Amino acid sequence: MFRTTRRVALGLLAGLGIGLGAGAAQAEIRLGALYPFSGELAVLGDESWRGLELAVEERNAAGGIKGEKITLVRGDAVDNNQAVAEARRLISVAQVKAIFGTYSSARSQVASQVAELARIPYFEMGAVSDSITERKFRYLFRTNPTARNMAERSIEMVVNSVAPAFSVEPKALRIAIIHEDSLYGTTVGRFQASYAKERGLTIVETLPYPANIVDMSSLILRLQAAKADVVLQTSYQNDTVLFFRQAREANFRPRAIIGGGGGYSLRETMQAVGPEVMDGVLNVDFTQYAINPKAAPGIEDFVAAYRAKYGMEPRSGHSLGNYVGAKVFLDAIAAAKSLAADDIRAAVAAVDVPDGTTPEGWGVKFGPDGQNERAKMMGLQWQDGRLVTVYPPEAAVSELRLRR
Amino acid sequence: METFVQLVLNGLMLGGLFAIISVGLTLIFGIIRLVNFAHGELLMVGMYLTWLGTSQLGLHPYVLAPPLVLVLFVIGVLIQRFILQPLLDARDAHVQIFATVGLSTALINLALLVFGADLYATPSSGVRDSLTFGPFRILIGQLVMFVCGIVVVGALHLFMERTYLGRAIRATAQHRAAAQLMGVDVKRIYIITFGIGAACVGLAAALVAPIYPASPTVGTYFVLTAFVVVVLGGMGSLHGAFIGALLIGLVDSLSAFYIAPDLKEVVIFGLFILILLFRPTGLFGLGRGSE
Repeated sequence: MFRTTRRVALGLLAGLGIGLGAGAAQAEIRLGALYPFSGELAVLGDESWRGLELAVEERNAAGGIKGEKITLVRGDAVDNNQAVAEARRLISVAQVKAIFGTYSSARSQVASQVAELARIPYFEMGAVSDSITERKFRYLFRTNPTARNMAERSIEMVVNSVAPAFSVEPKALRIAIIHEDSLYGTTVGRFQASYAKERGLTIVETLPYPANIVDMSSLILRLQAAKADVVLQTSYQNDTVLFFRQAREANFRPRAIIGGGGGYSLRETMQAVGPEVMDGVLNVDFTQYAINPKAAPGIEDFVAAYRAKYGMEPRSGHSLGNYVGAKVFLDAIAAAKSLAADDIRAAVAAVDVPDGTTPEGWGVKFGPDGQNERAKMMGLQWQDGRLVTVYPPEAAVSELRLRR
Repeated sequence: METFVQLVLNGLMLGGLFAIISVGLTLIFGIIRLVNFAHGELLMVGMYLTWLGTSQLGLHPYVLAPPLVLVLFVIGVLIQRFILQPLLDARDAHVQIFATVGLSTALINLALLVFGADLYATPSSGVRDSLTFGPFRILIGQLVMFVCGIVVVGALHLFMERTYLGRAIRATAQHRAAAQLMGVDVKRIYIITFGIGAACVGLAAALVAPIYPASPTVGTYFVLTAFVVVVLGGMGSLHGAFIGALLIGLVDSLSAFYIAPDLKEVVIFGLFILILLFRPTGLFGLGRGSE
């Protein structure tokens, strides 16, 4: 009796599944959206998703792709294993034509592997680890700038804006590089060291430390002993707060501090450290909203659309980055001969968006490894409790301020 | 030389921080024989409560210490009574450890749900100002922690030596079955001990929160070091934990400066392995006599 009931129930469920599948297959293009929607990274994962959602809605309002409506199927990449499982589900059950994502580098790394094996295009719009595109996958493309761009920009700022502001030769500045010692910090730190060397700058200390550090007083004493003028830190939130607090307590006042993304951009960090301590601190990150709209055409429309849909201000630049990336990829898919993976790939590889024409500021042109060669980070500074763009000059909304 | 003295001062103060966090752990470790993996998460809970009390009610973090000690005592009692005690007679003693691991994960995710992944910084209320002695500086908050560490260890020591309850607790630690035969209510002793251990964390949370911002995973930053401290000092030895904490603080501070900040963990855990190899009972361990 029990067995029969169960079989009937299973049959019903299966029938329902087929029915749904068949209904959904009519006149729509399904695309996967793989982000951490729950867990520790959920806030910025969701922020990234909003950018994609806005881009798709815009496209659908303009007639979709080849006359068909786009439907996004969400996958929750809550951890690495789940990222793999969800990528598989999107590909084999939901049968998406491409996957968009992912915000987290580790999850992008593993999920894109699944897509590559299944020959499904994978479009990355937020993960910063260089190694993702270093694998030279055939169907993987990334629009956003990487750790290498972050390092490049920070050294560029030392040479082109910090040194002139203090009226000294760049090589007269004593630079210290400190970074958390996971893949992220280590990658940025290594690129910083090599770019600094290329430009003949003086590096007095390079100090990696574990991100879960509870005391940085010794590290700060070392920076003091080395008489560091400029500190480059690549960090998460906790270690950023700790560094500023303990630097202040030890009376360590370098001429300039340049942070890298993560902990430096968040409002909560600024509040935890104190707006007066954070004032004048420089930062390199994705394009943010306090930018000259002439250098980022369309950014005001994006913010307006975001406000209209979500009833709030964007929480970070991640939505913007995903919006711009998604638009580029959707345009390419629309221009492709068919929705076959190789046709999409050919169309994406042919993309050529000039610099200064997107709301991010940068253009798009993919290298042979799938990385956008025109992607750049922006130079930012905390001024009066706001994170404003100060570099490059054409994107700046404010002059660089010296630290008090 | 100046740098060296400052490093030693920093190390001792850091040791005070480790000590105040480790005291409760060593108590639970030594008496209930339980590796409490949720110890750090109790600290996390206490730090969030401190943040709530300071930012919402406008109280000084130190004023919150007595109520926090009480709240954490109750939480500890509830954990022992309703989560760990039912597992006391499980065939495998490790089940209890798994229960604390589960509790730890549950608390971290609960905090993520309630507070999100962001940092919550308790206002400093003057605690992060420093006292200067010539060229040297010490944070007021760290000095307070150091002194509180000594006071807590001393008070607990007196309690264990001089009171009936304290003797019953020690008897239970030495031989659970024998204590039971002598009429000690072992289950009750365990509940009280876990409560006291958790209450120590309540004090620690009120002292640590203004120095260090709260986040869901903040407990994990401290708990690993706390385990090293407990083993170094000798499991269950209160003054051992205090001295162990100071040693670890010094090693942390000096090795981060003279070797490298990312290698200090190598030094600390290297030391940990050496202790396990050559003196498994720790510096002040109870030795063979205990259960």
